[in-house]
Amino acid sequence: MIEKVIFYVFAGILLAAALLVITARNPVHSALSLVLVFFTSAALWLMAEAEFLGIALILVYVGAVMVLFLFVVMMLDINIAVMREGFSRYLPLGALVAVIMVLQMLLVIGAAGVDLSGFAEATNPALSETNNIRMLGNVLYTVYVYPFELAAMVLLLAIIAAIMLTLRRRGGTRHQDINKQVRTTKAERLRMVRMASEQKNEQ
Amino acid sequence: MKLIYLLIVLAPLFGAAVAGLAGGAIGRANAHRLTILAVAVSAGLSLWVLYQHVSGTATSFNETIYTWAMVGDLRLEVGFLVDRLTAVMMVVVTTVSLAVHVYTVGYMHDDPGYQRFFSYINLFTFAMLMLVMANNFLQLFFGWEAVGLVSYLLIGFWYKKESAIFANLKAFLVNRVGDFGFLLGIAAVLFYYNSLDYVEVFGAARAAPELTMSIFGTEALVVTVACLLLFIGAMGKSAQVPLHVWLPDSMEGPTPISALIHAATMVTAGIYLVARMSPLFEFSETALTVVLVLGAITALFMGLVGLVQHDIKRVIAYSTLSQLGYMFVALGASAYAAGVFHLMTHAFFKALLFLGAGAIIVALHHEQDMRRMGNLRRYLPITHITMLLGTLALVGTPLFSGYYSKDAIIEAVHLSDRAGAGFAYVAVLLGVFITSLYSFRLYFLVFWGEERIDPHAREHMSHLPRYVLPVMQWPLILLAIPSVVIGYFTIAPMLFGGFFGEAIFVAPANDVLALLSEKFHGSFAFALHAAVNPAFWLAVAGAIVAWFFFNFRPSLLPMVNARLKPVIEVLENKYGFDVLYNQGFAGGGRLLGRALWRVGDQGLIDGLIVNGTARTIGRLAGLLRGAQSGYLYHYAFAMILGLLLLLSVFVANWQGWF
Amino acid sequence: MTFEMPQFALAAPEIWLGVMACVVLVADLFDRSKDSRIAFFLTQFTFVVAIWLALSTHWGEGVQHTFNGMYISDNLAGLLKASMAALAALTVGYSRDYLLQRDLLKGEFFLLALIALLGMFVMASAASMLILYMGLELLSLSLYAMVAFDRDSRVGSEAAMKYFVLGALSSGMLLYGMSMIYGASGSLIITEIAATAASGQNGLLLAFGMTFVLVGVAFKFGAVPFHMWVPDVYQGAPTAVSAFLGSAPKIAALALFLRLLVEGLGDLHAQWQLMAIILAVGSLAVGNLFALMQTNLKRMFAYSTISHIGFLFLGLIAGTDEGYAAALFYAISYGIMSAGGFGMIILLSRRGFEADMIDDMRGLNDRHSGFALVMLLLMFSMTGIPGTVGFYAKWMVLQALVEAGLVWLAVLAVVFAVIGAFYYLRVLKSVYFERLEDPMPIEAAMGTRAAMMGTGGVVLLLGLFPGALIAVCRAAFGL
Repeated sequence: MIEKVIFYVFAGILLAAALLVITARNPVHSALSLVLVFFTSAALWLMAEAEFLGIALILVYVGAVMVLFLFVVMMLDINIAVMREGFSRYLPLGALVAVIMVLQMLLVIGAAGVDLSGFAEATNPALSETNNIRMLGNVLYTVYVYPFELAAMVLLLAIIAAIMLTLRRRGGTRHQDINKQVRTTKAERLRMVRMASEQKNEQ
Repeated sequence: MKLIYLLIVLAPLFGAAVAGLAGGAIGRANAHRLTILAVAVSAGLSLWVLYQHVSGTATSFNETIYTWAMVGDLRLEVGFLVDRLTAVMMVVVTTVSLAVHVYTVGYMHDDPGYQRFFSYINLFTFAMLMLVMANNFLQLFFGWEAVGLVSYLLIGFWYKKESAIFANLKAFLVNRVGDFGFLLGIAAVLFYYNSLDYVEVFGAARAAPELTMSIFGTEALVVTVACLLLFIGAMGKSAQVPLHVWLPDSMEGPTPISALIHAATMVTAGIYLVARMSPLFEFSETALTVVLVLGAITALFMGLVGLVQHDIKRVIAYSTLSQLGYMFVALGASAYAAGVFHLMTHAFFKALLFLGAGAIIVALHHEQDMRRMGNLRRYLPITHITMLLGTLALVGTPLFSGYYSKDAIIEAVHLSDRAGAGFAYVAVLLGVFITSLYSFRLYFLVFWGEERIDPHAREHMSHLPRYVLPVMQWPLILLAIPSVVIGYFTIAPMLFGGFFGEAIFVAPANDVLALLSEKFHGSFAFALHAAVNPAFWLAVAGAIVAWFFFNFRPSLLPMVNARLKPVIEVLENKYGFDVLYNQGFAGGGRLLGRALWRVGDQGLIDGLIVNGTARTIGRLAGLLRGAQSGYLYHYAFAMILGLLLLLSVFVANWQGWF
Repeated sequence: MTFEMPQFALAAPEIWLGVMACVVLVADLFDRSKDSRIAFFLTQFTFVVAIWLALSTHWGEGVQHTFNGMYISDNLAGLLKASMAALAALTVGYSRDYLLQRDLLKGEFFLLALIALLGMFVMASAASMLILYMGLELLSLSLYAMVAFDRDSRVGSEAAMKYFVLGALSSGMLLYGMSMIYGASGSLIITEIAATAASGQNGLLLAFGMTFVLVGVAFKFGAVPFHMWVPDVYQGAPTAVSAFLGSAPKIAALALFLRLLVEGLGDLHAQWQLMAIILAVGSLAVGNLFALMQTNLKRMFAYSTISHIGFLFLGLIAGTDEGYAAALFYAISYGIMSAGGFGMIILLSRRGFEADMIDDMRGLNDRHSGFALVMLLLMFSMTGIPGTVGFYAKWMVLQALVEAGLVWLAVLAVVFAVIGAFYYLRVLKSVYFERLEDPMPIEAAMGTRAAMMGTGGVVLLLGLFPGALIAVCRAAFGL
């Protein structure tokens, strides 16, 4: 009973925050709402006894990704007015479509009634005997080795694509070349000039 | 063996591809070297194949080379059927083709389309080989259409010449009529015998010769209908009355083509077809009668037209028509072997005559009118001798090849008891006289008598490049040899020795050649038999008449012409076929077409559908183009709408609203 | 779940591509040449070996599963992979010259192509929804980056942005649908989903998820109404990328469809048939009608792609093995034609000039009759004129449709094909009957020329002798 209450509280906050993410006028508010979304989902995961995922979500997404995101948002000067232009114009049509779709989905899912007999009975040992991380580790490199390796390829691809799209070697930029500095010779740096002493001109 | 057959077929195709696609790059000399080499390979191997068949070391070959596609149970295949009939055809095609290739080096020496020409004739050789080597109707049809295409291209080879364009269009249209029948024939075969493979079809036909179908409300034998339809195709390709009109006009093409395609090989495809289909035709008395009668009509009446022509090539063209008629007569009398035998001898001496004519034409700088020739034996001695040999073969001089083949046909018809055989016998006998008359008319007009050569042309003759005449004369000599002797050596095995074996099927009741063989006591005796043969004396009479009017007393000619004026007019109008076709069918068709165009096309289709459609589409497109705005959110929204649509379909489906 | 050691040898094609991607990445670092030739040749070598590996590993070896049922090796996988690798090799072959002329040639391009092909391979052999999705993302991410390859081009960046956002949207729908299917069947493994579908348990939920999945698949194909990205992306991307995009990934999309909707949800055929009909008819209509109005050749090809996808869908709609084989044959032959079409634009382009308008085809016959002939073959093939491979593609699809009793669809398809003939022939009119004032010589490198001639030859050869490819396509479905 108490679990259910907690679940609905977190789930409600999650939905509200998610709505805020897309409706907030200020991008900073949007990003902060997203942080809240992550927090509440982490809480839901914890309730489902997936503590590793919950913690990873907070550490990785809230701790790293969102902070980076906030930095970027704050550094860019985004014109709020322009972004929201046309919002009200398209709202009625969009809302209509959304309502119809939600109705249809409710109709179907409501009628379908999910039969969960297809799922294998959970055979996990009690939490006291093992823990989430160990279980994940057990399958990640065995049963799921193929998708795991593929995920690695996706990450490699992301790195390559990101570098390719953003790294520019512009001409004329100043940079230090240690090798060059070390290997320099006197002739390159020093110019001996011989000149006759000049006469000071009177003003 | 398979490899050799493939090589025979593919060598000319390769040559055609290289000369056609890279002709500019490899140059003129290499183009002719390559193509001649390709045909020489084919010819050499074909001779070898024939030798293998004759000596009995090779048996009949029937295999699928490549399965092109499967449609249900129907296999569309490329395959070869090589038996003795095929082998003979292969040798005829490739050797004549080889001679023509060599000859072309001289004939086309100053033509800008040199490589193109070699590419075409190589391609033709390929197509013709595909036709004769086919083991199924589909490939036969491919070859049939391919040779037709090349023929079309070559008749219009000088595509800037108005008359050539007209001629190739005419050939194309007339052949379409024939091909339509041919295609229907194949369809009938496929429909009733459920196969396109020769062997299977023949087997099915033999198993159920009495199979009938209902057509136009009457019951008809399937085999008769199929044979008649196939024969319509043969009529188109082999220029039989009434689909003969394109062949004389096809002489607008270069002369080597006239020799190769329109005398020796392609036009004999119809003969080959009927001979190959003998297991079908034998079951249909009706079809054979039609073949016999139409062949006889062509043989006699087309020869008559040849009498009044002045263009040297047209005379030979009408002669070809007439000789093709002889071949069909043989087929119609169930003497298939005699038809094919005449096909072979005719291929050699007719190609010889055409090439000889071509040599004259080139020497006289493209002069074709016999009224401006005469006394040419002084200038072109070799051409003269070889042409004389060809003429003697054509008219059927004893011991020459033409004598054996033609006399065999006449005797076979004489012995046949088929309906119409009596008429055919008279027609082919008279045809002998006519043949002799026009042949010697040509010979005397061109080589004897007073010189009527244009001074220009004479000038030109002394300025020809030195290689031209020799390179054109070698093929003449090459062809003259078989023209003279081949009949003497081959008549015994081909007609009476059961040479064709399984390839040709003759019902025992129809076998006139078997009757004839009882009278046959060797080639030489057969030649001596000429003395008691009306055909021989008719030929002599023809020759004498020709000599009298065209050489000895040409001054009498105008008087005779005046007496025979009505007859000559009919002949000069070619019995009015051209007028009928041009004004009747073509003109009527045009009228009908115009009427339909007015009402149907302009009114209905253009007004309602085309322009109407264009308008509707324009409006619709304008609407849709609004959606393709370039804005990302429009696109995303369109996707959402699409999802909504699919969801709605899903819901509607689920609720059973459909 | 019990773990058993996977048979790594079965995944040899994927492993080879993954390893070679890393090798190319490193090798390119040490390549001092201006034209990244080490990366190029290594990549092409990888493609060729991949074709061989795909065929030798999968073809004729029966159906085998490994990686705990997530990986499937069968004839279909072999054929899909071999054809995708071949098309990738062809289009990457075209691209080198093009990129070089525009100072765009960097090793990363080949790397992205390699990883995209890896994604396609993964999809072709996927026996689990998870794997399908991973493969799809590998492919999509690579393609997004490739479209944006010309960083200084505004249209290129715009196209990439659109592609990316819309792609993410479609991925979301696909994932949503997959989660529904997972909820209904309790498994990610395709065979188990198929078992659930056959049993009829949770049928409604399964079909509901299927609807969303179909949206995701349709987006990958570019079927109407999920086609909006196609014209903009084809036009905006560098032509070399459009060529790549238009060929092999279409086969990958077909793989996605076959694995998920046919093998997994084949029992719901009656449910998705009607939706697929809507997609197909819409694609045929919009593709053909819009293509009529284009003056830009790349855009025209984009709409023509949409119409061809409609045709391909017709084969799937038939719902028989013959239909699937026809769709596969269609996808492969269309991949060749499309590569050829874009290849022609590449061939005629040169530094500072993009031959992407129909008018740029004018007088091609005078400039080079050989290439004009290839263009003729390509256009004939796209139209579906006998003697070219396109004819058989259309013919097989129509035959499957008629056998499935959908004659009206077949008639409709023919009507649209006739409309389509108009714009293909218009290109030929430019090629043969219009003159270009002072034509420039064709500057393409020998490799590109040879590839072009080869493409034309293949179109003709397959048109004359389609038997082998048809047989192979049918064999992939056990016919």
